Amino acid sequence: MTEPTRKFWDDVTEGEALPQVRMQVPYAKVILNAAATNDYFPGHHDPEYARAQGPRNIYLNTMAIEGFIDRVATNWAGPHAFLRKRQMQMRASIYAEDTMCGDGVVRRRYQEGARNLVDIEIKIATDEGVRVPAMVTLELPRR
Amino acid sequence: MANVAQAPFPLTFGTYQDALKLVGQAGQKTVAEFSVTHEAIKVYCALVEDPNPSYWDEDFARRQWGGIVAPPGLLLSWCMALEWHPHKPRSHYIMALRVPLPGDTLINVATSTEFDRHLYLGDRVSVQDRLVQISEEKDTRLGIGHFLTTEAEFVNQNGQRVAVQTNQLFRYRTHEA
Repeated sequence: MTEPTRKFWDDVTEGEALPQVRMQVPYAKVILNAAATNDYFPGHHDPEYARAQGPRNIYLNTMAIEGFIDRVATNWAGPHAFLRKRQMQMRASIYAEDTMCGDGVVRRRYQEGARNLVDIEIKIATDEGVRVPAMVTLELPRR
Repeated sequence: MANVAQAPFPLTFGTYQDALKLVGQAGQKTVAEFSVTHEAIKVYCALVEDPNPSYWDEDFARRQWGGIVAPPGLLLSWCMALEWHPHKPRSHYIMALRVPLPGDTLINVATSTEFDRHLYLGDRVSVQDRLVQISEEKDTRLGIGHFLTTEAEFVNQNGQRVAVQTNQLFRYRTHEA
């Protein structure tokens, strides 16, 4: 196995853009979402229930969106990064048959005690625009 | 008197005044039904298509973290209730579901989670949450209802804090209802 990417805190610049991450969300993905996260709230598997509560189709749950946000961050930083904090607001749903698109920008590079941290602003969008804005704090290794 | 609807998921009904009495109260501390397994980690990583070797590659994970670790996004999933259990009623640890309010449905709105340490294979989480705030009635695109803010603390089987999470969900009735 090839050695994975390793982003060092020393090499990060504020304003740096992360590589975009895209993922299709077919119906099977939304059903996998329910099973993978033990979440059988009907809005995530029953289109009729979802429409009755407002969204136009079954939609991804919190844990799926969190995992995609985290993937956008560590896809850039590499697997040596530790996720210290993640904030996200689900302003609109991500539906079956959407394509998710994750973009990120490094907003701040700083130290707190012994921790070497970066704050990354991440936006998860679909064709309809930004659905979930997020902010992630990663702890990175030093050179 | 609040009554509890069991279908399609357990919710407690009542008035905003009933609900306000619960602000500051903590829910029951709940030991997760699911312990951390590599199988569950792989299924979740297949969901979000995350190739991070911390979750897949035992050699890498041992060198970097001391073993395979759980993706942070799985935190809540360990604590979800089983759909059926021979001895326990179906109930979630989530305090917000037990708050008496008129809304007959809900949608999650926001989370903020701070992580202290990883979860490893075999670990078992316990969680306890507390109702922090209930908004006044709000009229939104989805319907009319209240925003509920809760704070949950997750600890491992050794009593070490794994994470704290603030969650906001919207409990509402649709405009048509």
